[in-house]
Amino acid sequence: MSDLLLGLLIVLPLLGSTLSLGLGLVRERVGWWVATLVLAVEAGLASWVAYVIYVGGDRLVHVLGGETFGRKSITVGGETTNFTVGIELVGDALSGLVVVLVAGVALAALAYMRRAGPRGNAFYTVYLIMTGGLMGVALTGDLFNLFVFLEIVGLATYALIAAGRGPEAAVASLKYLVVGTTGASMYLIGVGYVFLETGALNMVDVSRSLAGDAPWFDGALYSEPLVVAAFGFVAVGLATKSAIFPLHTWQPGAYAEAPDAVTVYISALASTSAAYAFARITWLVFTPEFFAVNRRLLEVVLLLAGASVVAGSVIAAMQQRLKRTFAYSSVAQFGLVFLGICVAVHPAATEEATKFAVYGTVIHLIGHAVIKGGLFATAGALAAGEGARTLSEIAGLARRRPFISGSLTVLGLSLVGVPPSVGFVGKWYIGVGAVGANLWPVVVVIFASTVLSLLYIAQILEKLYFTPEATEVDLQDVEPIAADGGRSLSYGMAGVGVTAAVVAVALGFGGAQLASLLDPVWRAVVDSAPEVIA
Amino acid sequence: MVLDTVPPVVIVLAAALLAAVLPRRIGHAVGVLATGGVAALSWVVPEGAHLQVTLFGAFDAILYNVDPFSRLMGLIFGLIGAVAVLYSYASGADSRQTAIALSYVGTGLGTVYAGDWLTLIFFWELMAVTSTLLVWYYGGAAVRAGFRYAVLHGIGGSLLLAGIVWHYVEVGSVAFTASAGLTGGVPAALAAVGIGVNVGFVGLHAWLPDTYPRPHIAASVFLCVYTTKTGVYGMFRAFPDGHLWIAYMGGAMAVFGAFAALLQSDMRRLLSYHIQSQVGYMVAGVGLGGAAIGHSGKYYHELATAGAFGHVFNHILYKALLFMAVGVIIYRTGKESLDDIGGLGRKMPLTAGTFGIAALSIAGFPGFNGFVSKGMIIGAAEKKELEALWYLLLIGGVGTFLSFIKLGYFAFIEGEYTGDIKDANVGQSVAMVSVAGLCVAFGLVPDLLFEILPVPAEAYEYHTFTVPHIAEGVGLGLAGLVGFAILRGPLHHVGRVPDIDAVYNRVFFYGGRGLIVATTELFAAVDRVAVQFVRLCYWAGSNPVTVVFRVGRRLPRTLQPDFVREDLSADGGAVSRLYIRAGVGTSIAILVAVLTLVLLVAL
Repeated sequence: MSDLLLGLLIVLPLLGSTLSLGLGLVRERVGWWVATLVLAVEAGLASWVAYVIYVGGDRLVHVLGGETFGRKSITVGGETTNFTVGIELVGDALSGLVVVLVAGVALAALAYMRRAGPRGNAFYTVYLIMTGGLMGVALTGDLFNLFVFLEIVGLATYALIAAGRGPEAAVASLKYLVVGTTGASMYLIGVGYVFLETGALNMVDVSRSLAGDAPWFDGALYSEPLVVAAFGFVAVGLATKSAIFPLHTWQPGAYAEAPDAVTVYISALASTSAAYAFARITWLVFTPEFFAVNRRLLEVVLLLAGASVVAGSVIAAMQQRLKRTFAYSSVAQFGLVFLGICVAVHPAATEEATKFAVYGTVIHLIGHAVIKGGLFATAGALAAGEGARTLSEIAGLARRRPFISGSLTVLGLSLVGVPPSVGFVGKWYIGVGAVGANLWPVVVVIFASTVLSLLYIAQILEKLYFTPEATEVDLQDVEPIAADGGRSLSYGMAGVGVTAAVVAVALGFGGAQLASLLDPVWRAVVDSAPEVIA
Repeated sequence: MVLDTVPPVVIVLAAALLAAVLPRRIGHAVGVLATGGVAALSWVVPEGAHLQVTLFGAFDAILYNVDPFSRLMGLIFGLIGAVAVLYSYASGADSRQTAIALSYVGTGLGTVYAGDWLTLIFFWELMAVTSTLLVWYYGGAAVRAGFRYAVLHGIGGSLLLAGIVWHYVEVGSVAFTASAGLTGGVPAALAAVGIGVNVGFVGLHAWLPDTYPRPHIAASVFLCVYTTKTGVYGMFRAFPDGHLWIAYMGGAMAVFGAFAALLQSDMRRLLSYHIQSQVGYMVAGVGLGGAAIGHSGKYYHELATAGAFGHVFNHILYKALLFMAVGVIIYRTGKESLDDIGGLGRKMPLTAGTFGIAALSIAGFPGFNGFVSKGMIIGAAEKKELEALWYLLLIGGVGTFLSFIKLGYFAFIEGEYTGDIKDANVGQSVAMVSVAGLCVAFGLVPDLLFEILPVPAEAYEYHTFTVPHIAEGVGLGLAGLVGFAILRGPLHHVGRVPDIDAVYNRVFFYGGRGLIVATTELFAAVDRVAVQFVRLCYWAGSNPVTVVFRVGRRLPRTLQPDFVREDLSADGGAVSRLYIRAGVGTSIAILVAVLTLVLLVAL
């Protein structure tokens, strides 16, 4: 019964989006209310699913399309095996956390959008579509279906970014469209290769086929050129979507030019969903056994991820605009996530190392979403409240905006990795995993990332707290500019930042509990099992 | 008996505390009673009494252990302690100095009554501390000398400690009874050098003449007794079976000390060299104390051991007496040097008389106590057929005669002392006469000594007054007299002769200063580099765009990115923004390039 929930999680926002558009014909400005209602229910459903997965210890599987589809047994040459027909949705210990994250962030971003906009029913329609797409990415158990959901997310994102006013947003959106679609195509080519080789698209079936489990394979397919190339295409495609250096070129513009509220949302979830997909495919479809054969492939990805950490942080430090700084910071942070993903399946990793790398990857993925969403919310709030968008403009604002500045400080330090915060827990686990795998260059990069992220965070905090305001302009006398909310700051906008800061610290304290939820995941990775079973 | 388990160190340290706070007279009385009591206690407490505790939950330490050797040491330490406290009182030492001196006596007693190496090294180090305090208390030149003393004894103590730790690791117990002496090899070598500092091995001896002449005259009486003799005792504990090298080192000390003494004019400095010389005899005795050393017949090594401890006992008596007599001269005249005095014999007959007894004792003239014990050691060397050592010990004897004839002649006989001067006061006289009496008594009736020696007299059958022995003693004396008659002129004004410490004090001073300067300079240099580096990093972190510009402009022209060539004058020369944006086309090109790279590596 509860497996129906998986379908509902995807369908509900999609239905809600039509509702928003339909009701919009009757009433103006109904979109926010529809979105809030739908996402509140969605959040409830997500909690239920998480409860069933983590407390009940279930692995939920829902087959789309009814009785005709599903896992069918076939007999070939006297051997009976089973194969999935159609599309499976899977709710397991890995996807459960992402589902909760998506639902939570989607709801929280609404609190920000209430005042900050963009307004209009069409916007919320796209917003709900994107939420549905993100749920789909999280839940699908099918490689091709994953591409579909990635494209839903992508197209919705292009539209959301273009909702920003001015030509820059349009250009940024276009750039993202071209680059993002190219990346998605690479992924699709990779999936095509896999399909050619294995004849399967279901992740579990593909994984088994690659391992040579089906009776019509002579042995493992790990060294087949088509399979190896498939991973290369998939990795490049998803790295583009996750904005790994030097494939990140679309990302800073997209984040910076999008409306503040949209940035909060996409920065927290868009790249996160792609990185999650990469982790799922790397860990559970290709599995460590594949990388034991193709070690160099893994090391190229490690190299890119390490470069991403360093380059992202350094470029971030050179930015003047806050939103650009945070955007480049994401390049670095996803570099860390990719490092974690690769360390977990590295042939040199012991069981312990894999365990910690899995912990660190997922916790950092979720922690980064919370932190970065919160940071963009505070940056947006400073822009909305004080009109400050650059480093020099935020000088001395801590006096006037203590809560927003305080949240920014907590989130920033969490990003640096100061305990007790979720940023520390994630980085620490990844670092411990890398140490356990004896990947010393990776260890150096991870610990250097702390100093490098301090480079730009310290700059911001120094401006915020220790540099006096440039000019004494008494804003009380200036009439607020009315357009698009103008300089107006709601409790909702400030609250998102504050909440993110509180959650970042709370998750830091709950790091060990969070990690224990992931135990089935690392066991599956260690065993090279295609299914995460508690 | 309750007293069986009260370590003497507790009694004397309690007395030291009392002496510090009580009025001077009562305090000194308590000191005399306590040390005298310890002497009596050492006499009556039966062998085998001990107090065992477990230290740090790991070591079975024997804080108090009575055996024949520690008993002899306790007896003489207590006895001379009482005399020295009396002398202190008579010589104007204040309560606090006597309190420190008593704590020094106490730690010395703790060392000789220790039943294991851990307790021994504990009191050994404490003794170095208390003796340093005793020197420092006098102030003036004594402070720097005391510092040098402390450093050298700190090093020696650490070496011994290292030897003991090593020994513990090898044997698994710190008790004396667990093994015969310290483990051979490195532990024994470390201990030999460490103890060698205390007994004044040649080369390690310079602290002796450096320190002992400087403090208060009464302090010198204490100092001349405990440190070196505890060293001899420790040497015996470490090497109960002797060692040939140690025996020869003893011979070298005997000769070196005696002739170095001959060159001195400062009276207490002269006496200090004689401590080294006399301790050389004891060290030779300890070194010979093994059946395997030299010719092994008829328990000669028992004779050597008995001689060593007999000499410890006798030496403490006459050396304390010498320091007391010389102390009286300094007390009355205020002069330290032989060059400044003379003809005191007629003015200070009692001092001259007791000095004479002590001098004849130390020189080993028949009828005085030094003759008995020194004769035993020389006899052991002779019977073990170690002729080189035997000659060394005889030459040392000649040197001793020479230097004491010199001291006595220039102080008491030659010249005329102008001015009114008194002899020793009552307290000093009582102290000196009683010790002088003991010197004579033990000299005339050697059996008294054999009675209390730790080695039973039957074991070695030594006859003191045989013709060859007496001839030897008298002969040495005659040789000394003749020698002095020849050397009298040059000996009078030798001036200060530099010792080995002239070298190592300089080495330590300049080496230490060089080391400190080098360390601080190195630290400063590292500090400068580190600060520069951090400053640079900080600057780079604060001005990343400028850094990129500057680095970019250093690149070869063809590699320079476009943005570096931008004209900065519009911005007032300041660099604030950097445009590095990849267009859509570039982005796709990069994507394809990365894909190509990945596929190239993979396939």
